[in-house]
Amino acid sequence: MSAAGSSNPEFVVARVRARRGQLYGDEEYRKLVRMTPAEIARFMEESSYEAEINALGSRHGGVDLIEYALNANLAKQFEGILDWSEGALYDLIARYLRKFDAWNVKTMIRGVYTDASQDEIEVDLIRAGEFDDRRIRRLLEADSIDAVVEVLEDTIYGDPLREAYTAYEESDTLVPLENAIDRVFYERLLENLPGSEPVRQYEAFLKAEVDFRNATNALRLARSGAEIDPAEYFIEGGELFTRDTLARLARNVDELVEYIGESAYADQLGPALRELEEADSLIAFEHATDAALLAYGDRLGTVHPVSVTPVISYILAKEREVENIRAIARGKEAGLSADEIESELVIT
Amino acid sequence: MLEATNALGNAVLSTGGTLTDPSAAAALAVGLAALGAGYAERGIGSAAVGAMAEDDDLFVNGLILTVLPETIVILALVVVFIV
Repeated sequence: MSAAGSSNPEFVVARVRARRGQLYGDEEYRKLVRMTPAEIARFMEESSYEAEINALGSRHGGVDLIEYALNANLAKQFEGILDWSEGALYDLIARYLRKFDAWNVKTMIRGVYTDASQDEIEVDLIRAGEFDDRRIRRLLEADSIDAVVEVLEDTIYGDPLREAYTAYEESDTLVPLENAIDRVFYERLLENLPGSEPVRQYEAFLKAEVDFRNATNALRLARSGAEIDPAEYFIEGGELFTRDTLARLARNVDELVEYIGESAYADQLGPALRELEEADSLIAFEHATDAALLAYGDRLGTVHPVSVTPVISYILAKEREVENIRAIARGKEAGLSADEIESELVIT
Repeated sequence: MLEATNALGNAVLSTGGTLTDPSAAAALAVGLAALGAGYAERGIGSAAVGAMAEDDDLFVNGLILTVLPETIVILALVVVFIV
């Protein structure tokens, strides 16, 4: 559970592979889209989500129960992975899982900003990151944004948040704080990666993720036509865009689509881009980027069997499963038909 | 350091040459094979324990796979008998 010493990929990969076998497949999803939320909860209780459903069943019900059980299970699984791994492996996995820390910090700041109660904030947290329970407790007890920033003083978020806090005080909007957190996360993600071959594959995946995030953000900005400076939302580290190209392309949807169509991702995103041009729908594009990342993740899992990549592949697959089940449950709640829900799922 | 190793080698060779003795070489071969087997079992063992932690039924499979590299040592032991 530390970044010192040698790493133990064999152990972690063996456990993760066993867990991967328990993830839902096509068959289960087909059943799930035809169930009511209560039936979905039941179905989950009979599979790997048993402990969470039982623990939360008395306090929540319906779709909320499913959502909280999914989050709790995700957190438990990822905490486990961090617990088992040692050395360089821990560092590589923690890089990616810190995104849950970033999510939690953002949730707390938003919660404090909107005067939400401690319990309300707590159920929305996903305790899968590096923060331990003590720090989370102290964060929950913080009653002002200043106090949140103070609790995070000795973490990687300390200095950037402190700087952003002055900007927040001037503008009274959360954007500077949230941007600061995201930026720290992405900077750490790609910083000082060791140079072995499996790690390069991992790096390529991370870069693709950053590129897709930039592309999606740019498309959204371009379509909304809002007067926001795209460079503000630019995430460093990707290969597709630089700050300047993104700022230029975000003004014109057609140019942007053409630019992505000519890039290295054209094969994976080509059909989605055509759909984007014809149907003018961003959803297909976002699903295509998700599916491309997931397919890449699946490939990662088999190329280097004893390295960090199968672990990352599992983490992605698990996240996707959680998102799919959530989409099914929320879709059911909103009264969507089975076909409509199925089109929302990303299954490989 | 290098000169010292040279001197050591010369001393070993001149005082009867331990390493040129066939049984000493065979012993070394077995020892190295055992080291290799141990290294191989390290990885397999930790993977097997990981798999067992997820599913108890894998105990037998894990045990068999973990001791498979032991065959290297048995094969190396043959050398002891033929020298």
